[in-house]
Amino acid sequence: MNLPPERDSSGRFVKPEQDMPQPSDHDMHPMSRLLFGWVSSPRTPMVLLVLTLVIALGLVLIDFAVNRHEYLDFANANGFYAIWGFVAFALAVLSGWPLGKLLRRDEDYYGEADTTLQDVEQDS
Amino acid sequence: MSGLIGQINPGLLLILVGFAGCLIPVQRVRQALMVATPVVAILMLAMADRGTDLATASVIGLDLVLYKVDSLSFIFGLAFLIASLLNAIYALHTDDRLQDGMALAYAGAAVAATFAGDLMTLFIFWEITAVSSVFLILRAGTKAAYQAAMRYLGVQIFSGVLLLDGLAYVYKSTGSLSLEAFTSFDQPGAKLIFAAFAIKAAFPFLHNWLQDAYPKATVVGAVVLSAFTTKLAVYAFARMFPGFEMLIWIGAVMTVFPVFFAVIENDLRKVLSYSLNNQLGFMICAIGIGTPLAINGAAAHAFAHIIYKGLLFMSMGAVLYRVGTAKASELGGLYKSMPWTTIFCIIGAVSISAFPLFSGFVAKAMTMSAVATEGYVIVWLMLLFASAGVLEHSGIKIPYFTFFGHDSGIRVKEAPFNMLLAMGMAAFICIAIGLPTIGGFGYGWLYNMLPCTVTAPADVCMISGKEIKPYAPYTVDHVLTQLQLLMFAVLAFILLKRFGLYPPEKPGTILDTDWVLRKPGYSMVKWAGTVWGKAGPALTAFFGRMGARTFEKIETTFSPRGALARGPLTLSMAMWSAVLLGVVMLVVLLAS
Repeated sequence: MNLPPERDSSGRFVKPEQDMPQPSDHDMHPMSRLLFGWVSSPRTPMVLLVLTLVIALGLVLIDFAVNRHEYLDFANANGFYAIWGFVAFALAVLSGWPLGKLLRRDEDYYGEADTTLQDVEQDS
Repeated sequence: MSGLIGQINPGLLLILVGFAGCLIPVQRVRQALMVATPVVAILMLAMADRGTDLATASVIGLDLVLYKVDSLSFIFGLAFLIASLLNAIYALHTDDRLQDGMALAYAGAAVAATFAGDLMTLFIFWEITAVSSVFLILRAGTKAAYQAAMRYLGVQIFSGVLLLDGLAYVYKSTGSLSLEAFTSFDQPGAKLIFAAFAIKAAFPFLHNWLQDAYPKATVVGAVVLSAFTTKLAVYAFARMFPGFEMLIWIGAVMTVFPVFFAVIENDLRKVLSYSLNNQLGFMICAIGIGTPLAINGAAAHAFAHIIYKGLLFMSMGAVLYRVGTAKASELGGLYKSMPWTTIFCIIGAVSISAFPLFSGFVAKAMTMSAVATEGYVIVWLMLLFASAGVLEHSGIKIPYFTFFGHDSGIRVKEAPFNMLLAMGMAAFICIAIGLPTIGGFGYGWLYNMLPCTVTAPADVCMISGKEIKPYAPYTVDHVLTQLQLLMFAVLAFILLKRFGLYPPEKPGTILDTDWVLRKPGYSMVKWAGTVWGKAGPALTAFFGRMGARTFEKIETTFSPRGALARGPLTLSMAMWSAVLLGVVMLVVLLAS
């Protein structure tokens, strides 16, 4: 069976539906439940966004209260690092679109795609 | 007794036990040796005196210094030994004689090269690192690994040849093989040695052997490889080229360009290899600055980096071992079955991203401060960009797409205990050397080992004539600015992901400079082979015919039945020959 690869909502390739094991949480590692049980909650993404936003903006507010003394004058501007961090990250990620188009070739481009390593667990 | 043990290069012990280990068939005995040897070696190093030639030898008229410890080599050597201990523990679940032995011998060669006191000794161990490490790639047993291993070996040996060439020039002009730092590129051999180091340190355009070979190595092999070769090159640069301005710019470029490759790469071990490149950039840049603070920054970064990069490779190795792939497009949701691996990976990720309280923060802060103090504004901005980039590929992409994100439905067992133990130890070090100093615990331990301390500064600390000042990473300014940078980058990630602007992970091959070798280069060689296959016989036949024809001509002229043998000329020929001989004899007689 050689169906064309499907993509899910985030654009990632997944195997055809019938070949996909249905994710279920009943066999979850007990430690995972304890440590990361909150991850699969539907509210988590929104909570994380709000939390990050609050911390990030809080850091800028603190910046107004602190009188920094950097060697480079422009770095003393309030929120300079915040803007630089945001822009740099966004630039790096967004450049992935054109760069992917430009540089990505078929997986077997060099004729050496997918072979299993010798020291990988065999029954996996 | 302690005097004698303190005079043996611990690297030599590792090499010997490593080679012997390849012959020991009993797994438990061999692995006990592999774990015990680095511990013994660390004790040997602790006993060694600083700053003197501890072991010397004279070979074919060259005075070699086999073992010399100073504050610069100490921190690199110690990091290598700790890494080799962690690697040995990480490898306990496998039964591969060659891999076990060669991993230890490779670590030993890097340690021995670090403690080498002259260029020739450095060269010898430089080459042993190349030859021993190639087995870690070969043992993967795939065709891709075999081909990558051959390319890797070619590049590494070429670096060695350049080093040998360079040291010959140094020896010819100065009559010594000392590891004294160069002061300019005009000195004989400087450029060649620079090029040799540049290849191993994976400079831009020379970098691709790293991303080519490491992801194709075995699960254990990639972890081992990540620690030694490149950091040995960083050490070599710190030793011989501190304060070379060119390194500042090369380093800055090195931090930036891998960020873009790491964003689009799908194989997460390859992402880590690009990230490795980016981290080396920080160290190389610091060495280029060359002030005591910067050299300290490079050394601290190397130490912290060896541990957290090893940790990240270990966590991806554990995933690869259980799942059979390390491709982002096929992973996701693994936190449900590998919680401990997830935690350790996250610790590695926040360490490399330089979050306060973790090792990356106390190390990178020094480099950033040194660059700012020396007034390199553009370089500083590039490094700041790269810091956000590190967070993208190593801090977020690696843990997110493996353990969280879209649930791939893959359910496996947690990593073997020995893997978890090695990861746990590495994670402990990442935190222990990153915390503020409280009661002798914290970053103070790392800072006390740095090359440029007031009490025992290394030779390299003197070159710029700058004062050595204690450095405090945990100031309000540092913590606040670093957190701002990182939290806004995290915010950018969440927003981009939410609005579907984050590029999807797609399977594929990303082109890099190795394309030149592997496509046009390979085609050229193949073309030349085909041409030679056809032209060779044609040329042989052509020259054969030419030879036969010439011989025929000569024969018809000079043979007894030839043109010259006929008629009265024969007689005069004999006469003239006799006359000529007589003249020659006369000349010889007069001349003598």
